[in-house]
Amino acid sequence: MSAEATAAHDEHHDDHHHDLPFYRKYIWSTDHKVIGIQYGITALLFLAFGFYLMMVMRWSIAYPHEPLPGWMSWIFTEEWKARWLQDGKVTGDTYNMFGAMHGTIMVFLGIVPLGFAAFGNYVVPLQIGTVDMAFPRLNMVSYWLYVIGGGIMCASFFMESGAAKSGWTNYSPLAGFADSQIVNQWLAGQTQWLLGMVFLISSSLLGAVNFLTTIINLRAKGMTWMRLPFFVWGMLVTGFLLLLAFPPLEVAAIMQLMDRVADSSFFMPSGLVSKTAGVLEVSGSGSPLLYQHLFWFLGHPEVYVLLLPAICCVAEIIPVNTRKPLWGYKSMVYAVLVLGFLSFIVWAHHMYLTGMGPVVSTFFQTTTVLISVPSVILLTSMIISLWGGSIRFTVPMLWAAAFLPMFGIGGLTGLPLAFNLVDLHLHDTYYVIGHFHYVVAPGVLFGLFAGVYHWYPKITGRFMDTFLGHLHFWPSLVFMNVLFFPMLTQGMAGFHRRWYNGGDAYLVEEGSGNIFGNTVLDWVAWNSVMSWGAWLLALAQIPFVINFFGSIRFGKKIKSDNPWDATTLEWATPTPPPHGNFTFDVAAYRGPYEYSRSDHEGDFYPQWEEPPREKAAPSKTTTTKESAKES
Amino acid sequence: MEIPYTVTARKDTGLFNSKVGIWLFLASEVMLFGGLFSGYIFLRIYADYPWPERTLPVLPGLINTFVLIGSSVTVVFAWAALKMRQWRRFQVFMGITIACAAIFMVLKGIEYTAKWGHQAVRMDDYAIVEGHTHKAELDDHGHFHVIHGKKYPDHAFPANRIVFETNEIQIDLTRFYAPYMKELIEQAEERGSKILLADTIAGKRNPKADEKTVAMAGEELAVGFLKDARELFLDARAHNAGVRTDELRRLWRVAKKNNPGEPAYLLASSVQVDDAALAPRLVPATGTVKFNVQPPMPFVFKRSWIRESEESARLKDDTILRGKLQECPLVMGVDAIDFRYMAQKAEAAGKEPMSVIANSWLLQKPEYKELWKQHLESVEKLEQKLIDSHGWKDEARGIANRVPTDTERYRIGWKDLVEYKTGERPSMVQGFAGPSHKKEEFAKAFPELEIPNEKISLQSKFTPKWNTYYAIYFTLTGLHGLHVIGGAIVLAYYLFFSKGLYLRNPEWLANRVEVGGLFWHFVDLVWIFLFPILYLM
Repeated sequence: MSAEATAAHDEHHDDHHHDLPFYRKYIWSTDHKVIGIQYGITALLFLAFGFYLMMVMRWSIAYPHEPLPGWMSWIFTEEWKARWLQDGKVTGDTYNMFGAMHGTIMVFLGIVPLGFAAFGNYVVPLQIGTVDMAFPRLNMVSYWLYVIGGGIMCASFFMESGAAKSGWTNYSPLAGFADSQIVNQWLAGQTQWLLGMVFLISSSLLGAVNFLTTIINLRAKGMTWMRLPFFVWGMLVTGFLLLLAFPPLEVAAIMQLMDRVADSSFFMPSGLVSKTAGVLEVSGSGSPLLYQHLFWFLGHPEVYVLLLPAICCVAEIIPVNTRKPLWGYKSMVYAVLVLGFLSFIVWAHHMYLTGMGPVVSTFFQTTTVLISVPSVILLTSMIISLWGGSIRFTVPMLWAAAFLPMFGIGGLTGLPLAFNLVDLHLHDTYYVIGHFHYVVAPGVLFGLFAGVYHWYPKITGRFMDTFLGHLHFWPSLVFMNVLFFPMLTQGMAGFHRRWYNGGDAYLVEEGSGNIFGNTVLDWVAWNSVMSWGAWLLALAQIPFVINFFGSIRFGKKIKSDNPWDATTLEWATPTPPPHGNFTFDVAAYRGPYEYSRSDHEGDFYPQWEEPPREKAAPSKTTTTKESAKES
Repeated sequence: MEIPYTVTARKDTGLFNSKVGIWLFLASEVMLFGGLFSGYIFLRIYADYPWPERTLPVLPGLINTFVLIGSSVTVVFAWAALKMRQWRRFQVFMGITIACAAIFMVLKGIEYTAKWGHQAVRMDDYAIVEGHTHKAELDDHGHFHVIHGKKYPDHAFPANRIVFETNEIQIDLTRFYAPYMKELIEQAEERGSKILLADTIAGKRNPKADEKTVAMAGEELAVGFLKDARELFLDARAHNAGVRTDELRRLWRVAKKNNPGEPAYLLASSVQVDDAALAPRLVPATGTVKFNVQPPMPFVFKRSWIRESEESARLKDDTILRGKLQECPLVMGVDAIDFRYMAQKAEAAGKEPMSVIANSWLLQKPEYKELWKQHLESVEKLEQKLIDSHGWKDEARGIANRVPTDTERYRIGWKDLVEYKTGERPSMVQGFAGPSHKKEEFAKAFPELEIPNEKISLQSKFTPKWNTYYAIYFTLTGLHGLHVIGGAIVLAYYLFFSKGLYLRNPEWLANRVEVGGLFWHFVDLVWIFLFPILYLM
């Protein structure tokens, strides 16, 4: 198709040379690579902000009676502190606000944009060998909708009502009438959350349509389905999850918005009484359970939206650094498709305690246990890929290697939660927090960090520094575990996930007969250990920040366009890839992971390298007929 | 650089890009409306009050259905015309399509307006009345009078307001809502009263700052000085919070030094900020200001603004009024009486519905008692009619094959009222968008009703607040309406701004129209589901 582009069309011939003004090139850009970088940097900023919110929460958990230290509270104005802190101490309201926003920001503004939108945008069109996304302008719109949504969410911190405080899940009826004291409901944090969500969902939907169309319709010549790198497969499934799972959440958001601004009772049961407003003047008869169904219909596929991009990155990095094909590529492809399908029918395992009834619970218990099969296939394939490889422990490979056991812990700790009976005990405890943070923090984030270190040379033309990389990796690995592992044990002891003072209210005198109080007493000291894990984890990210920005100017320059000796198409482009990406008529001649082939010189055989003449391969000069035959 | 397959189809998929895109987008739209329809089913099945059935006038919806179906056909003709390169023909058919969209929205608008003007009240005994609110005014003594007649004076207000005789107002500085303040000021001006500041507002931002006077006692309420007072209060509060925080930090440093190794929770009770000792470093900060109303006067508020009791009333922004609640009934012309909810509640409590209804507050009024008697007669006639046409199932035990529905039995609709009064039932066309109180022949069939405040448990127009049926009706049709508008804008763009593209690359334009047409068909399809579930079921 680049042949088409470079051939007859006169009116387009000057596109490559035409210099766009700065704002078109870097701000209102329609180039998938620039948009990918925009997404990446914005998402990293949101991740940092979400991390900060978490530190304030950890302070409240570990030191509920002590004022927030100056190094943490300096970013607030005095007025804000007077409103939201009590003598400098974090209050329950403030903790709830930070908790709700930590979850929201990390999930919807941090990891999804970083994993799916940033990496997907940058890498997918390159890997399938095309010039850009199918709808470049739509791509730009997606990014800006995301920025607007994020802006609305964060702006709500400075409103009279503060930001949303009803948990990242925003359950009704709690969320339905939280902030109901605010006269103009459009200016209440809880409403702003919903508005922000509508923007974010629209952004994701447009993004998903764009990704899917690109992958389906714009693959290069010879890029058949089974020659797609696993990364692209993962993104394809992620795209479908976003496309089909987000609309029900949009429904939930719209209905809750109606409840708030139009006084409807979609999620308001009859006879609701609130402490501040008395008997609520609503028609009633709404269903909080309906909200949970709509929310988790998104919520569970969302977990895989978070996870798959990380697995995608790791699956690319492992073959490059072991110099071996990805083990079980086809099984992984089928596994990820099955995973995508099953993820739509497991949602109610988040709702065992809602009283749905044993039949429904049993169904969802079964599907939940089933979904661990494809997950294990993915993880196992990647572990077996290591076997017998001559592993290069580059920095991206370190992260990728650490991803495997960390995600393993995350996944395995999820199994007990799948069972209805065990979940009765563990529901809403720190065990759950520990479980999903193992999945998304040392799991997903490690995978994404691996991706950043891996593709950085392609984006900037320079490597990130190895020493700083190690300085980032090892402390992160240690402190992640210091932070999250004790949560699992605390949770089993019964620590509730929403204690803003870390169980302080349940403490008893030593030797008391109160068994629960004694258990809390046994485990409460871990609170400060974990919090210190969090502070040190924050410190461990400083080398990354230095490395990320410093290496743009001071990093070691790459010597070729394919510095890792990789096989997939993104490494066939100039560095950094120009607008329009490829400088030759790119085509895929073989599978994505042809490393250490005995019949080929060198230990890798790139997808774009034309086979020798005698093998009767498609030649460069052929037209699109070839691609039709191939795919 | 050019994106491939924008005009021609890719051979192996057989599709051009935007066609792939629109089908994917429609898949997500299916999930969106699927979610809403599922929500509708869920809410209807689990509703704990009688779901309003067939309450909407069918005619506008029916016309709209045909209008949309017609436009789906013309949009295909428009596309075909483009394929045949007949620009003029394309313009005509696309024009008709957009005109259909406009007709659809106009009818929708008429329907919506009828809903927004229609009052409904659920009483504390679960009797429901529907109708139109009258207007009222306050006389010179502050007494409430309903206005009868056609012309309303400027100061008239709908007769479903709360009237509160006020002599003192307390305003919360951090929370006051400027539009409320302006409303208070306006009403006071109208009645010649003054809202006067009770005590001078003055203070310091911090102990070292100069004393600042914001407003003197006796000044009239104004949003400007409230804002200044708020600023002063926030500054003072911030200063105090800073002082207290520093003090608490110092206390913790001392406590930890004196008790090394002791866990914080054991020390917590002894580490407390001592207000008395800190007093010299703090500044006074009061968050509320008081006003006197001179002379005391009645204020009129929308019910949703206020939570009232006999002696005080609280606006949503925590403004507190003190005084006396006035007599202010809700007065309306009733066009429907509905006892279904009451009957359901009675059955749930194991009582005989008919006797509960007969003893209800509403039926103590002779006019309504008479109506109910007429209604029971007509139900009896209906019962007999059903037996005549469908026969008995078990005549000995008095079980008929068909009996009147709950709606027929317990609800007196506006057409029933007209029929009982005039003996003639209005036709479908006469009640195009619901009962009209402007038509003399109908209005005289609608009885008057005064409902005292304490009898009302829920009052609303026919809006999402009234019940979940209207909520889902507005949500679904509103969202669908937005899709109609969005689709029409895109199609209008093709009609009015695409001549250039047509001359340059007509196939591309045909592709665009095809994609727009697919979306248009989807919008039509959604309506085809909406119409039966909202209008007929």
